[in-house]
Amino acid sequence: MFEQFKSLLVDKLKVSPELITPEATREDIELDSLAVVELSLMIESEFQASVSDDELLETQTVGEMVALMESRGAKI
Amino acid sequence: MAGTDVAVTGLGLVTPGGIGVGPSWAAVRSGRATAAVDPVLEHHPVRISCRVPGFDPDALIGARRAVRLDRFSQFALVAAHEALADAGLDPRTWDGARVGVVLGCGGGGPTTVEAQHEVLLTRGPGRVSPLLLPMQLPNMLAGQVAIEFGATGPNLVVSTACASATTAIGMARDLLALDRCDVVLTGGSEAMITPLVMAGFAQMGALSRRNDDPASASRPFDVDRDGFVAGEGAGILVLERAADARSRGARVRARVLGYGASADAHHMTSPHPDGTGLEAAVRAALADAGAAPGDVRHVNAHGTSTPLNDAIEAAVVKRTLPGDPLVTSTKGVTGHLLGAAGAVEAAFTVLTVEQSLVPPTANLTTRDPVADIKVAEEATSMPVDLALSQSCGFGGQNAVLAIASA
Repeated sequence: MFEQFKSLLVDKLKVSPELITPEATREDIELDSLAVVELSLMIESEFQASVSDDELLETQTVGEMVALMESRGAKI
Repeated sequence: MAGTDVAVTGLGLVTPGGIGVGPSWAAVRSGRATAAVDPVLEHHPVRISCRVPGFDPDALIGARRAVRLDRFSQFALVAAHEALADAGLDPRTWDGARVGVVLGCGGGGPTTVEAQHEVLLTRGPGRVSPLLLPMQLPNMLAGQVAIEFGATGPNLVVSTACASATTAIGMARDLLALDRCDVVLTGGSEAMITPLVMAGFAQMGALSRRNDDPASASRPFDVDRDGFVAGEGAGILVLERAADARSRGARVRARVLGYGASADAHHMTSPHPDGTGLEAAVRAALADAGAAPGDVRHVNAHGTSTPLNDAIEAAVVKRTLPGDPLVTSTKGVTGHLLGAAGAVEAAFTVLTVEQSLVPPTANLTTRDPVADIKVAEEATSMPVDLALSQSCGFGGQNAVLAIASA
């Protein structure tokens, strides 16, 4: 799931792939609040999982974002 | 304020002639028309436009930056980088608080609006992008340039339809004359070749319908003209007070000596039949420049290739400028860049006075007898000490710059 999430960040939000690790924070991958809203919409359309932008903002790392998606039944 | 000597020290262009001043000026100088069939306009009554060729935003400004910018902002960033490099200014060392950004734009970002409207209709409001507004708002143009370069001085976008960029350059000149800034990045950008906007222009009857012969469609002052061809792109000029420019050893490419503006107060879209508004703007620009009407050697006309504009504009030139200036409309090559037109045409006028070369009016086969003026049919070498760049917008707004050699 991490790899699929990474692909989403790279392909749709144009984040540099070398920045994306499970430990990377939202600041590390340069996602502002608008990008987090976009990410929430993309998670729903790409992985059929409902995760709000507020919930994403509460996570500390990329790894936690992936765990949150999986807990909501994200599908590849 | 009159007589403030303002220098143009940098130029940047993204036009249908190419990306950069070099390719754009080469296209204009050679009179090579750029209009072509546009796949975006399939099934439209008008299927031709003048696109910027080979514009790759990811390569030019980086994918991460480009994905959050509408096309009109992308054009402006590329042109601004070129203009600053040309001016020899380094944003890492300047006093950003003294750097202003004043840009013109007619329509903001309809590319983004139309795409997100489709999302709204097909997938619902909950799927609309949070970037819809920050991408499409017209003022974002100047805001994004400020972000890119750390220009923290006065920052605004002006909108006077197809006169927008000329108005912006005039406002930039005022900011320098008032000592509000030391440097202003000015000009304009436009990216309105979208299905909805083009349908609207076509319904107005404003566009040429030469779908079968696009290269001959934009033909300013020609007797067979039948409307304009929409173009896209951006032009950025770096302005400084001439004394400041010279004291830092910058190359002064030309000077913006005067600016004049007026309103027709007549009709939503039709120019005043007597051209009184345009004439007032021309006279105001010359008064601001401290020049006599007979001093004007060259006019870069608005010259849209519409029946009304070119006839009325020619009559104004004929009766207002007794020195029989050589007139050209570079729109024969570029099409009509709408809110950016005044910027690219001011840049071409700077190049004209700098290089003593008046570019031709493409597609001028038979000059309309009602346009009883001298129109450049081919590139013409001649000294140009003083030139005018003229713009007129829907809404009746007129703006004129007086541009002089360095």
